[in-house]
Order: sequence, then C-alpha cells, then structure tokens
Amino acid sequence: MKKRVLGDLLFLCLFVVLFAVPVQADWPEKPVKLIVAYGAGGGSDITARLLAQGLEKVIGQPVVVVNMTGGAGWVGWGAIAGAKTDGYTIGYINVPNLFAGYLDSRIKRSENLGSFTLIMNHITDPCVWAVRADSPYKTLADLMGAIRKSPGQLSIAVHGNGGDDHLAYLDMERKAGIKMKVVHNNSTAISRAQLLGGHVDVLAANVCEVFQQHQSGELIVLGVMADRRSPFLPDVPTFRELGYDLAWASTRGIAAPAGLPDRIAARLSDALARVIESSEHRAKAGQLGLTLDVVYGAKYREMVQREEQHIKTLMGW
Amino acid sequence: MPDLISILSHLFSLSAVLAIVAGIGAGLVVGFLPGLTANMAIALLLPVTFVMPPTPALLLLVSVYASAIYAGSFSAILLHTPGTSASAATVLDGFPLTRRGQSNRALRIATFSSMVGGAASALCLLFLAPPLSRISLWFGPAEYFFLALFGLSVIGSLSTGGVAKGLLSGALGLLFSTVGLDLDSGYPRFCFGFSDLHSGLEFVPAVIGLFSMSQALVMAEASHQSIRRKDISVIGRWRIFPRLREVKVIKTTVMRSSFFGILIGILPGAGADISSWVSYNEARRFSRRPWRFGKGSIEGIAASETANNANTGGALIPLLTLGIPGSPSAAVLLGALVMQGLVPGHEIFDRHASIIYTVIIGFFLANLLMGIAGMYATRHLSHITRLPNYILIPVIVFLSVIGAYSLSHSLVSVAMMLAFGFLGFLMRKINMSPAPMILGLILGPFAEKGFRQALILSGGDLIPYLLKSPISLILIALTFLSVGATVWFGIRKGPKPAQKKEKA
Repeated sequence: MKKRVLGDLLFLCLFVVLFAVPVQADWPEKPVKLIVAYGAGGGSDITARLLAQGLEKVIGQPVVVVNMTGGAGWVGWGAIAGAKTDGYTIGYINVPNLFAGYLDSRIKRSENLGSFTLIMNHITDPCVWAVRADSPYKTLADLMGAIRKSPGQLSIAVHGNGGDDHLAYLDMERKAGIKMKVVHNNSTAISRAQLLGGHVDVLAANVCEVFQQHQSGELIVLGVMADRRSPFLPDVPTFRELGYDLAWASTRGIAAPAGLPDRIAARLSDALARVIESSEHRAKAGQLGLTLDVVYGAKYREMVQREEQHIKTLMGW
Repeated sequence: MPDLISILSHLFSLSAVLAIVAGIGAGLVVGFLPGLTANMAIALLLPVTFVMPPTPALLLLVSVYASAIYAGSFSAILLHTPGTSASAATVLDGFPLTRRGQSNRALRIATFSSMVGGAASALCLLFLAPPLSRISLWFGPAEYFFLALFGLSVIGSLSTGGVAKGLLSGALGLLFSTVGLDLDSGYPRFCFGFSDLHSGLEFVPAVIGLFSMSQALVMAEASHQSIRRKDISVIGRWRIFPRLREVKVIKTTVMRSSFFGILIGILPGAGADISSWVSYNEARRFSRRPWRFGKGSIEGIAASETANNANTGGALIPLLTLGIPGSPSAAVLLGALVMQGLVPGHEIFDRHASIIYTVIIGFFLANLLMGIAGMYATRHLSHITRLPNYILIPVIVFLSVIGAYSLSHSLVSVAMMLAFGFLGFLMRKINMSPAPMILGLILGPFAEKGFRQALILSGGDLIPYLLKSPISLILIALTFLSVGATVWFGIRKGPKPAQKKEKA
C-alpha cells in the first residue's frame, strides 16, 4: 500500500514537472522548431542550420531544423502561420517567393502577410546577372547593346515564375525597354550548367550562388542589383551605377505565427540578435557568401510590405 | 595530385576509418528501410558533419550515399518494397527470385553489381573527373528532351500485362507528372483548389505507394501466409560471392549499366532512378533471355543495381569539378561542401587536393566494404521473409507512412502515398504494371521542361534547333531503335506463352 502511495506521489511529481512548469516558466523552456520551406542542402537550409547552431548556444535549448517542403513553399510557410503562438515554432519566410502564393488571383489562399509575426530579416542576397568567361559581352553595356540590336534573340535563365530572378528581369524589361527569351529552371545549378554549356546567354542568380565562380574566373558577374556594391564582389558595379535604377534580392527572415505575445517576441528577438552579432556567425556567413541584413520587427514588416507593393504593380496582381 | 603515402595516411587515420564504417552502417540501415531515401540519410547527417573536420565529414556522407543506394536493394528483393526509390526496378526481378526461395542468389547478384558499379564510378571520378564533367554541359534543353523520350521508349517493353496496359500506365504517369504549379507561368495545373498540390505529386511517395503500400495490401488479401512460397528453410549454403556461371551471364550487363549509370549520373538533375530504369531496359533489349525479365532475371537485377550505384560516383563528378550536382542527393552534398568551406570548381583539386583525393579513394573503398558488410547483414536479414504476413504487413505499412512523412514533414505526402498505394493495388489486381507509371512520373517533367525550353530558345524555329546537336541525333536514333526492336521482337516471337499470375 505504502509503495502504491509513493508511486502515485512520484507520478504526481512527474506530472507537475512535465506540464505545470512550462506554463509558469518563461520562453525558452523546451526545444524550438525552426521550419524551412525548402529541402535540405539548399541556400535556405544552410542559412537555417547556421542560425540554429548559434541559437542553441544562446538559448540553451535544442533548435531543430525541419524541412517542410511542397506547395511551392507554402506547406512550410502555412505551418509557421498555423502553429501555436508559444514561440516554440518559428521559421524562415522567403521574400519575394512568398508573395505569388497569395497575391496571384489564380491561387486562392487564405494566409497572407497578416498571418505572421515578423521577427527579423536575416539575409538579403542581391540578384545578379552573369555571363560565361568567354562571352563576347564583358560588361553590362556590351550586353545591353547586343540585346537592343537584336531584340528577343538573347536568352536568360531564371528560377521560376514570380521568383526574385524573374521579377528582376521583368523590372529590367520595363525600365530598360529590352526583350529576351526567358527560360525557367527549378534549380540554379541547372541554370548554371546551361550557361556554362552555352545553351543560354545570361544567368540570373544571387550573389552567394556565383561569387566564388566569379573570383575563380569561371564566369563574369556583370552587375549587382543592390544599392551598394556587394562585399563579396567588390569589383562588380551595381545596376544603379550603370544607369538602371533597380534593386532586387532574395531575402530570408524569421517569422512566427500572428499573435505571438510581445514578451516572447522580444525574447526571441534578443536571442537572435545575440547570435547574429557574434563574430563567429559573421565569419561563417561571410565564408558562405551570405549578405547579413539584419532588420527587426516593425522595420522588417515595413520592408516586406514595400516589396509586396512593388511586386503587385510589376506583376499586375 | 599529392603523393599517395600522405593520402593513405589520411585515409587510414582513426577518424577517417570510423567515418567510413559509421557511414556504411547508417547507409545500410536507412537504405534498407523502405521510404527512407539516400537523400534523407545525407540530409539527416548533414548537421552532424558541420562540427567535424572536412575529411571525415565528407567520407561519412559519401559512404552513406553509396551504401544507402546499395541497401535499397535488400528490401526490394526480400519484400517487394524498394528501400530507396532508386531500387524500384530491382523489385521486378528480385522479388520473383525471393518467392522461389532464391533470395540469396538475388542478393549476391545485387551486391556484386552494386560493388562493381560503385567502384567503377569511383575510378572515373578519380581519374577522369575534369574531362567527364564537360558532358554535363553538353546537355541543353533539346538533349534533355530526347533523353527523356529515349527513357520513355522503355514503356512498351516494360509492360508485363500487355502493351496496352503498359502504355496506359505510362500515360497516367505522364499525366500525374503535370500536376502542380507550372514553372513558366505559375499556373496551378490539376490542383483542383488544393494548394498542397502546388509542388506536384511527389515522386518518392508515389514509389513508396505503388510498390511498398500496394504490396502490403496484396499480402493482406492472402492472410496467414508468408512471402516465401517454397520450402521455408534456407535452401543450400549462404554464398557471399556469385558463381562464375552467374558472373558470365551478367558481365556485359554490368559493364553496360556502369556506363549508363555514370553517364546519367553526370547529367544534372537526373538521379539514380533514371539510371536504373534506363539500364534495366537496355539490359532487356540486349539480353539473350529477354523473356526472363520480370520473372526473376539476374540480368535485370544486375542492370538496375549496377546503374544506381554507378550513378553515385557519376553524380559527384560535376559536383566537385563545376559545383553542379549530378543528382538530388549530390545537391545535398553540395551543402556539405559549402559548409566545410570547400568551393567546388577546378581549384578544389589544387587547393584542397589531399582532402578531395582522400575522399574519392575513401569512396572507392566504401563501395567495396559496403558489399562485404551487406552480405553478412542480409544473411540474417533474409529471414524476415519467413515472418508471417500478420507481422510483416503492419511493419511495411508503418515504414511506408514514416518514409512518406519524413520526406516533407507533412501529412500531405502520407496522403499521396496512401492514394498511390490503393491505385497500385488496383493496378496489380488487373495485372497492370506500376513500373511505366513511375517512369512517366520521373521523365515527364524532364521531357516537358526540355521541350518548352527548346521552344522558347529556338524562337519558333523548333526543328533545326532540336536537331542541331549530334547528341540529339544519337538519342533520336536510339529511341527509334528501341521502339523498333520492341515491335520487331514482339512480331517475331509471336504471342507470348500465357503468363502465370503471381500472387503473394
């Protein structure tokens, strides 16, 4: 009988430990799930795993990267939006890829930007145009001259309708009054093979995907679509310097479901800041060609809303 | 190339040897479990390797890659459930042998072929990587389109239950492959308002459903039995090496399949699945005993298993030299290289020579060691075919669900897997092979994307664009030969003898 009581007591203690404590205590008290909407080994995944490594040390809890793929990204993003607002499920959202899913009227989706609490932008990877090392076009001016001379003859490989590469091309088409053959691929690796094999003339990509090949001379980056030159490509001019007023990038930032309590959002934001300010994180990101562009909370929301508006007008959504 | 002594001293350090052994062990387990793919095995270990030095980290990952692809054959042969999607073609001949109590024979052929294919690809990687990597650049949209057509020409000959059913199954596969957001226009095709379908019907849940889940259903129909029909006790001595006689039968198949495996491995995007199906078909076409295919031909097993392992080394060739992954698994490996600060490209062989050559030679060794480990493991593993169905069925269903879920961490994949499972079951009831459907699903997007890109790049003048490269012409010729041969043999041999219906 006595044993039985002791057992019950133990069980009760266990129950209290398991369930009561987390309600009382403050975030973080258990492992945090970090959702990535794309597959393992890709750019978003590498970014996430880099962050997870640092975040684990700062919060003293495991940070588990979960690749939820499918639905053109929205299986993962939908899971972030639909998660409990306890701060234990966060994830990366990718701008501008996020927008097509709900702005495009052919796709009826209930979630939108309002479904997320935006915590922090992490990476802004500017769009670039690159050509082969033996290409006749050594500068953007050469290329633009050739495109204008024979409109619709030169080709460019981009990464899917409504993606950053494609939007950047459309903007360029409008602003510079040019016309090219546009080929869509589902991976930049294949686009790069098409460029190197001479099947297309121009590769639209992001800095981290080409800066090493530019350094080693395998291809030439003609221009960066950013406000200032990329530290990874100091010798490459921006499109603005060359007279084309545009800036496009693929950005990755941390979001949580809408309605995350401010207290948890603040703690999360502090923890993320400590990771990203660390010299270790900066060094590793630099090695990977990731352009850190840290923007918090309300500022981040403004930044994303600006892009949203930008794209609405460009795509006619 | 740095001197051999220093490479060997790196390779036989404790950490490197441990990494290879651990990689092979993990690969064998993940490969054997249906649904857990090589991709996933590498992805799961990726974060572990971030904290390791580059040499053991990469050795671990390439060993997992090779042995997972190899071990996929175990469950394909023993349970009709391909352990990885790359072993789906192995099911066609491996499982009939198991049913006849000859699982040992099937396994030793698979092992021998995998080792040879893998080792051959490792040697190509070691000695010929820079020149071979150029191949990946020759293939533009037109070439991909014709490669896919060539692959699809298999469909007529793959059909066990009559050509019409085979073509229907293939056509359904092609139709399914069009589901999802159109890459060019962003239009949701055949999604019927379900946004979860925007990325399309995924290939891995389809393979798990059509082969593994449908097998569980077929077994459930005939309860209180076990897979092996014949005498339950293991027949004869467990042989680790194939007989000389067997090697003679499969030697040309192994050589041909190594070639196809490595070639398709080099092409970006085309992975071990395509290698294995193309080689299977070519083995059948050139075989002197084509009627045995689908009923337990060791040439069929050899073709599929040689090619999927030859693909692994092939896929590493453009990965290391150009930074262009030759297969989906290699794309995950690219992540590992990048995280280790090893920039793929020509300079990787200069600046990080000792690491890269150690990894390549380690990859070669892993391909041999995995076979030895595999043959000892399967000796015990093959007893699972003696388990009664009431144990096996839940296990297969459980692993199928886990496999589908683990791919995307979402129940959508599980639902897809179940749907394909029931479809596969119904197809098998009417003696319609799921193999052409798989082929349609894999090759459909390649054909469509290649054709549409060619259409855009040609600027409307399509025919000259399609025919301008010699590779396209060769592929067209091969496709005509392929279809022609199927028709010719079909006419010459007359109607086939009535086929025995196989039931588990």
